[in-house]
Amino acid sequence: MVRILNTLCVALVGLSILALYHVSEQTRVAKFELAGINRQINREHATISVLQTEWERVAGPARIQELAANRLGLTGTPAVQMSSFETLPRRGDDSAPLNNSPIAQANVQAPANLVPAARRGL
Amino acid sequence: MIERATIYQRRMVIGAVIAAAAFALVGARLIDVTLFKPSTAGGDQIGRPAMARADMVDRNGELLARDLPVADLYARPHTLDDKVEAARELARTTGADFSRLLEGFNNTRHPYVLVARQLTPDAQDRVMHLGLPGLEFEPSAKRYYPDGRATAQLLGVTDPDGKGVSGLEQGLDARLREAATVAPVQLSIDMRVQYILASEAEASRQMFHAKKAGGIVMDVRTGEVLAMVSLPDFDPNFRQFTGDDSDHNIMAADRYELGSVFKVLSFALAMEDHTTRPDEVFSIGNGYRIGKFTIHEAEHMPATLTARDVLAHSSNIGTAQIAMRSGPVRQAAFLASLGLLGSLHCELPEFARPLYPTHWGTIETATIGFGHGIAVEPLAYVSAAATVVNGGRRIIPTFLKTDVDRRGAQVIKPETSAEMRELLRYVVTNGTGRKADISGYDVGGKTGSAEKPGPHGGYQSHVLVTSFLAAFPIEAPRYIVFVLLDEPHGTKETGGLALAGLTTAPLAGRVISRIAPLLGVPQKPVTVARENT
Repeated sequence: MVRILNTLCVALVGLSILALYHVSEQTRVAKFELAGINRQINREHATISVLQTEWERVAGPARIQELAANRLGLTGTPAVQMSSFETLPRRGDDSAPLNNSPIAQANVQAPANLVPAARRGL
Repeated sequence: MIERATIYQRRMVIGAVIAAAAFALVGARLIDVTLFKPSTAGGDQIGRPAMARADMVDRNGELLARDLPVADLYARPHTLDDKVEAARELARTTGADFSRLLEGFNNTRHPYVLVARQLTPDAQDRVMHLGLPGLEFEPSAKRYYPDGRATAQLLGVTDPDGKGVSGLEQGLDARLREAATVAPVQLSIDMRVQYILASEAEASRQMFHAKKAGGIVMDVRTGEVLAMVSLPDFDPNFRQFTGDDSDHNIMAADRYELGSVFKVLSFALAMEDHTTRPDEVFSIGNGYRIGKFTIHEAEHMPATLTARDVLAHSSNIGTAQIAMRSGPVRQAAFLASLGLLGSLHCELPEFARPLYPTHWGTIETATIGFGHGIAVEPLAYVSAAATVVNGGRRIIPTFLKTDVDRRGAQVIKPETSAEMRELLRYVVTNGTGRKADISGYDVGGKTGSAEKPGPHGGYQSHVLVTSFLAAFPIEAPRYIVFVLLDEPHGTKETGGLALAGLTTAPLAGRVISRIAPLLGVPQKPVTVARENT
């Protein structure tokens, strides 16, 4: 009985050694892979950081205005041509604006010669 | 009867106990490692690359400055076979100085030679392709400013070691270093407003061939500076000046005798102390003698003007009379309460101490009344003017985003502030500021055309600093726009004149008409109606 128990214990120890070695090896490999993945993630973060910065540069107001003026022919909109919901007229006969102000928006005398700075060679 | 265990049995029990304890120990460690202490092994941590400084973003979260990953390149000369060829190749690839590299490689006392700093990933690739031994890259960071010149004077720059040396980079240096691993530092700047102010100021600078130009947009309740422009500027990403480039922020680091925009303060004092009324009539004439000095007008004036028209037409003689009623002591105390006799301290490190007379007598009181004899930095003046229109409470500018009302001590009464707003509106509708009157918004403001002091004393009659102070919407001002041109020249359109009403007033009007819709300032229906008729 004792001999069987001893044999079992020795076998268990042997198996444990093998299992621990296996786990240890797996851990070492996983650690190596993790380090690689972390490095890759950091590289990706760095790339994203650079791309975000590049995006901010190309989407900056100066570039957008230049493109809008040169490619789309857009010019500065006079402030008076902009409106808000409060000043829009009601539908139907009652043409008073929603806030009962007697003013209807849309300015026919808005200066049309506003030229953005980009068009002026800036 | 219990049989005693043999020595073998005892040894087996002891062995079993030791084995069980060992297994228990290993098991406990397994549980500890797997459940309670996740391993931090693996070297690199997930996250942003190591940064020396935090990002700076504008009030809407748009990126203004960021550290980008670069590398410093070092070489170990003793590993190089052909030092001359290596120096030549590295100089060609990195832009480093060939003779410096060769001298370093031949100097046996130094095991390492710095080849180049802040190499971009592209440049690093080119160096790697050289296949030279003994090269080492040290990870580093380079500050990049996506908006380039538009924010150069305001944000400033860092040195190659990542330390702020000018602008907000210097003023917020500690905060930017502390915050390097957490959230970016959010500024009060609105990049849209900054761009509009910069582009319009540059357009006016070119149109009037001015030496310098500048502008400030500030929230009068929170003190937040939404935009600050100083021209000429420079490209902060290259740091090599070309043409008339300058890194000098004239709105904070220079002081000017601002001229007639100072009349706003003289009138605020007079209204506060009730030393005059808007409808009081003043005799103007052709000159006003004080002792051996005679004060003249910049333009022809009627024989008499009401106080309201003294401000609207910017009469020096009328303002001098009003200022003298306050007296030197009261005038100095009032300007001090507005912060104009001390240094302005905010996040911006650049500042200029004001210049004012040591002997503050009657003539000084008169000239300071219309903005001569005292020189202040434009940002300090804007702060004082904001106090006048915001209900009379002292406001200190800030470059950090805040949502709270930062108005401090009451300097003038709210009624005086309301009276001043009416007067400023009158200047724009009936006075020298007409060209700042724009559709849809009620703008109040004041022109300033100051003669510049000459190099040998006295003033140069045709060398001006023109400025315009505007507040909108004037019935309850939220923003102040202040623009300045240094030595503008008249054009054919202005009849050869370079006065503020023709140069900076229209500039302020253009800026307001572009930024007001962006800032959500409601249009005035009455103004729209007037434009429609």
